[in-house]
Amino acid sequence: MAAFRLVSKCLKAENLSSAHFTIFKRLLNYSTVEYDEQRDPRPSFFNKDIQNLLRTLTRVDLHKVFRRRKLGDEKVRDPEYKFMTDEELQEALQKAQQKANSLLQIPPVVPARKPISKILSLDPELQGLETSKMVFTDITFGVKDSDRLIVVRQPDGTLCEAEWEVKNRINQIYFPQKGRSVKPPKMFQGTDFEDLLKRQEYEFILDCACIQFEPNDPDYQRITSITYQHINDNNGFDKLRSTRHFGALTFFLVWHKNIDNLLLELIETCYADEANSLIELYSKIKKVEFEKTNDLSMIEHYIKKCSNKKGALELALQAYKEMSHQKQNIEKGIKTAHGMS
Amino acid sequence: MAQLLNITKTLQKLTVSSRCRLVPVLVKPFEEDLPRTSIISTTATRNTNFFNKLPAQDLWKGITSVSNAGKKRGRGKNVSKSKIKDLNRGQVIGIGKANILWPGLSSPIIRGKELVEQQKLPEDPEREKKLIQLRDQMGTFKHAKLSPIERGWSGAKMPGRSIGPPDPIGEGEKFAGFDSVVLELKTVYNMKGNFGRKRRIKAVVVTGNKKGLVGFAMGRGLEARTALRKAKNRSGQKLMHIKLFRNHTVCHDFFTQFGSTKIYVSQKPEGFGLVCHRAIKSICDVVGIKDLHAKVEGSTNVNHIMKAFILGLIRQKSPEEVAEQKRLHLVEICKENNYFPNVIASPKECRTHEEIPKDEVLDWKQYCFDGKVVLRKKKPPPFYTRLKSYEVYLKKQEKLRNQDKVRINLLAEYGELRTFLADKYPECRAYKPPKKEEANDEAA
Repeated sequence: MAAFRLVSKCLKAENLSSAHFTIFKRLLNYSTVEYDEQRDPRPSFFNKDIQNLLRTLTRVDLHKVFRRRKLGDEKVRDPEYKFMTDEELQEALQKAQQKANSLLQIPPVVPARKPISKILSLDPELQGLETSKMVFTDITFGVKDSDRLIVVRQPDGTLCEAEWEVKNRINQIYFPQKGRSVKPPKMFQGTDFEDLLKRQEYEFILDCACIQFEPNDPDYQRITSITYQHINDNNGFDKLRSTRHFGALTFFLVWHKNIDNLLLELIETCYADEANSLIELYSKIKKVEFEKTNDLSMIEHYIKKCSNKKGALELALQAYKEMSHQKQNIEKGIKTAHGMS
Repeated sequence: MAQLLNITKTLQKLTVSSRCRLVPVLVKPFEEDLPRTSIISTTATRNTNFFNKLPAQDLWKGITSVSNAGKKRGRGKNVSKSKIKDLNRGQVIGIGKANILWPGLSSPIIRGKELVEQQKLPEDPEREKKLIQLRDQMGTFKHAKLSPIERGWSGAKMPGRSIGPPDPIGEGEKFAGFDSVVLELKTVYNMKGNFGRKRRIKAVVVTGNKKGLVGFAMGRGLEARTALRKAKNRSGQKLMHIKLFRNHTVCHDFFTQFGSTKIYVSQKPEGFGLVCHRAIKSICDVVGIKDLHAKVEGSTNVNHIMKAFILGLIRQKSPEEVAEQKRLHLVEICKENNYFPNVIASPKECRTHEEIPKDEVLDWKQYCFDGKVVLRKKKPPPFYTRLKSYEVYLKKQEKLRNQDKVRINLLAEYGELRTFLADKYPECRAYKPPKKEEANDEAA
């Protein structure tokens, strides 16, 4: 049985519209980039191969995933010490790996939702019965927040489905989620957001956005897209490595054909394998074929065919080749010196 | 004639210092009145008394000292040499109560081309006050106030105070980065064959470089300063190395005992601080331990605490040694790391599960305290929790339980405290006291 509940009479639904976000649409010269339904990212994103590639590019370091964090206002705790045999240690490490896998689940990439304007019934005889809107909520146990039936009776007698903003608010009021507030906090707006970006607190922004918004929320996509662009421009990739957001960042960059900076960073830091994975990811998502004759051919081909930063990338690649060549020579020399060749 | 001689003798006896101004005044009339001797003989004044017979030094001694016999009986506890005042201080010959100009004494004889004449100037009322003030200041010397950081455990006492690094030996290297702390400074007596009770000062000092080196020593001397110096320098020559865990705490929990002083020491995470006896805290400061909890059971004699604690520190095993001894991995698990098994130390060869005997102690606390258990008394609830009024109080407080959070949220959202009616009725706002500058402007 569906239980309905009436929420306060004077819900200022119209105030809740995203009016206070419109000002910041062109923040820091970054424009909001949303995933839309015409080019649905879901089939590519949820593909197993692509998920695997995104995981590889995340470069998981367990010590960074499980780094020491401050836990709010709790007191510092004593660590627990244990004696372990080899097997017990391996088991514990395996469990930690599993935990890391679930912690590093990439937030889903889905198209932005569309505004709701569904009228359920028009009852002009109820006109003037109430001076304010009435919101009815289905609070049955076990219903998903996204499927919950929330309807609004307008003062003119129209019964329509609640808008997304109202739905979010009502859901948060009846079924509060930890860490989420009814109104989006100030950190996602204006100078506060700019300041966070300037301080390169990318992980904090993205974590908070994950808690506050649903992935199909236009606000979520606005915040994440601006953050991703800021990271790309300021070369802050290392800040997101070993976090759940690196996959989403890479997917965003590949989706919008903007991987040159990431590729350059990977080549400069001598991660040729990851650079290859990135190109593979690009070819899979963008359905472009690259020659695969030797180790670096795919990268070379990409630079020739699709890159916008040809000069810099070619130079970096050349430097990388020379360095690996020198490394090989040194290794060979060491081997001959040890009499192993 | 004989009378005249007497008079001159008495005049000679008068102390030169205080009455000398009177002499010429008195002498003149004698010369004039020589024939009329009868007047003088009738006014035989005795100008000698206790105070002008003895020099100031002896007078002061009389009131600021007690005979040896008297001292033994406990007399003269409130007298001391510091009470002696030099009454001549601030006084200049030729300048006195009556402000008279004496050419050749308090002023030059010739000023310009004129001869200066003796004359009386108006009295200076400040002079007497200044003299009294100067005398009051004497004998009331106060030590400079110590800053709270320099202070020891209690008041202006030495124990707990830092006295700097030990002196370099010969022309050798300096004790760079070292600091010493006084743990004890007290007077001790012993009996000598020919002197009797002999008083000396005993000092116990601990020194360290805050990186794991520590030494302690005792020194005796006739003065506190020499005792401290001896103890400090001796402690610099008895340095021991102590293992630290991540440069901030002890390697593991341990139990240690010296005499009847028992100490349970436990390792603590960074940021915990030093929660222990003040002597242990001082030692930790010089060793370089920043986080630790210690509970002292039994005697709290500072010497014993120091010895027990340093003994325990020396006996610590490093994590590598523990792992090698147990032939098992030593793993740290803590909530801040999301329960990640952090391997602290591994043995060269690890035992398997079958190789571990069933009765072996594997619990870390039990292993560290060697089977001893720290007595943790449960704190009884305070008396007022049983009162009816406390229940009432709790009920009244219930409605305020989230007030602080609401306050912060309102301040974050609106920048002020306001009710939900503030939109409709703008006057429904918390009163804001005007800023000081604005108030001043309005007043102007």
